[in-house]
Amino acid sequence: MLTEEKKKELLERLKNAVIQYDEDTAKEAAQEALDVGMEANDAIFNGLVSGMQEVGRLFESQEYFVPELLMCADALYAGLDILKPHVKQLDLGVKGSVVIGTVEGDVHDIGKNIVKMMFDVAGFKVYDLGRDVPLDKFVEEQMKTDSDLVCLSAMMTTTMTGMKKVIDDLRKKNPKVKIMIGGAPVSQDIAEKWGADGYAKDATNALKDAINMISSLKKLKEEAEAGKIDR
Amino acid sequence: MSDITSRERVLKLFSGGEVDRTPCFSGMGNVSTEGLKALGYKFASVHLDAKKMADSAATSYKLFGYECGVLPFDLCVEAEALGCRINVYAHSEDLLYPTIKEKVIHNENEMDIAIPDNFINKGRIPLVCEAIGLMKKDIGNEVAVGSYVLGPFTLAGQIMELNDLLKLSFKKPDKVGKLLDLLSEAIIMAAGEYEKAGVDYITIREMGATSDVLSPRVFKSLIFPYLKKIVGKLKVPAVIHTCGKTNDIVTSMLETGARAISVDQKNDVQESRKKLGKDALLFGNFDPYNVLVTGAPEAVKEAMKKCIDDGVSAVWPGCDIWPTVPAENFKAMMEAVKNYRR
Repeated sequence: MLTEEKKKELLERLKNAVIQYDEDTAKEAAQEALDVGMEANDAIFNGLVSGMQEVGRLFESQEYFVPELLMCADALYAGLDILKPHVKQLDLGVKGSVVIGTVEGDVHDIGKNIVKMMFDVAGFKVYDLGRDVPLDKFVEEQMKTDSDLVCLSAMMTTTMTGMKKVIDDLRKKNPKVKIMIGGAPVSQDIAEKWGADGYAKDATNALKDAINMISSLKKLKEEAEAGKIDR
Repeated sequence: MSDITSRERVLKLFSGGEVDRTPCFSGMGNVSTEGLKALGYKFASVHLDAKKMADSAATSYKLFGYECGVLPFDLCVEAEALGCRINVYAHSEDLLYPTIKEKVIHNENEMDIAIPDNFINKGRIPLVCEAIGLMKKDIGNEVAVGSYVLGPFTLAGQIMELNDLLKLSFKKPDKVGKLLDLLSEAIIMAAGEYEKAGVDYITIREMGATSDVLSPRVFKSLIFPYLKKIVGKLKVPAVIHTCGKTNDIVTSMLETGARAISVDQKNDVQESRKKLGKDALLFGNFDPYNVLVTGAPEAVKEAMKKCIDDGVSAVWPGCDIWPTVPAENFKAMMEAVKNYRR
């Protein structure tokens, strides 16, 4: 039987496994959570994601740096891989599919992968084009998959200008699509000037934005469960 | 009074002498599309041709009076000579810098590499040396000529997955240290060739070890020793560049023995200056895109004055100058630095 106490203990273990970048514990705790009948969604959001939230805080306060962040992400994925097949799909009226990639000329993909991770967690369908992606490919993939969101990443000033081209092209072909840009050289100013809908300053911010997005999804879900939303 | 050449001014700065005004130069790429247009060269073509590379590198001085000539323009030279394959985006009309297409190390088990025999004649090292010679002949009496190498950690990030490198620098620092030691040897060899070709100064670009990514603790324990090793072997003045929030490591950067350190717009120069003392050479730190390319000329001038007021020893960009810098902004930069006194 799943007692409140056991549930709390497992969530705590999942959370700490992510914070302490302990892949083995993440796997064990995820499996145990399923075995005792815990909801996979609960284990993901209140265990793994809650750990990642703390990691975001540690990163922001410069106790953690990118290597730690990457190891925490590995731990999160270790747990997520086990839990994901058991997730009950939520119908929130959000279709949730995203095209993501690093623009041509840029081979940096760490920031992009962290953002991707949060979309994975949120249950989005993610079309990851990888790095050094020819600009036309973003438009092509968006049209093909009819994705709601396109995320463009660039780590260098020298490549970020390619994002403007993609934004212009996407707007021409599909004015409704939402576009997020991110990466070290990008600024709010640039995002506005180029007509992006969202912007993530760096890994910290990308993580925060993605977590905010997930939090609002969570709230929607809770409200749906509480019967507050008529559907 | 201002009869000294830019070359004399920069060399005097490096040798610790009093200069008549703050020099305005760089140790990183500074070719502009204006310069390329004047020559009729495509950006993708200047990386593979010594004459085109040298001609292009001289244009910022010739057109705008920029006080240096620096080449190459990309960050792949050492990695290519170590066996990586590069992409120069020859098909593209856009300004794309060459990148690494195929790495030498694909996983942790392949980290035990050796420097290829005849390393200094591999890849484009000879081409860069030839270009240095041509540039020196062309403008070397008027401006200081420089080149750059990557720092060992940044080079490691070129020849293996950055993702793996970052995690391993945490999990297995000894293994990473061994690789950095080997890469330091390669970097010393490449830099030695550039010195023979006649450069006046060399910038060591260790932007992969920025404090935005790696903790200052790891910088000091894992990267500092190898930077120090490289600096110790250079004969010409060395400048160490790191980007990002560098305030916590500026002291270490200088303790490598480097003649000068270079920081970008995220550094608080007033604070760095306090830490380093008044005599240390501190170069920086305007934003080469958001100020120099997209700013109005007046904003460019203000940014240059701020660098000087904050206490830089030379007005110097935070990174490569992005080629689409408008001519009037380049001119505004030079005018501001020439006429402004703190």
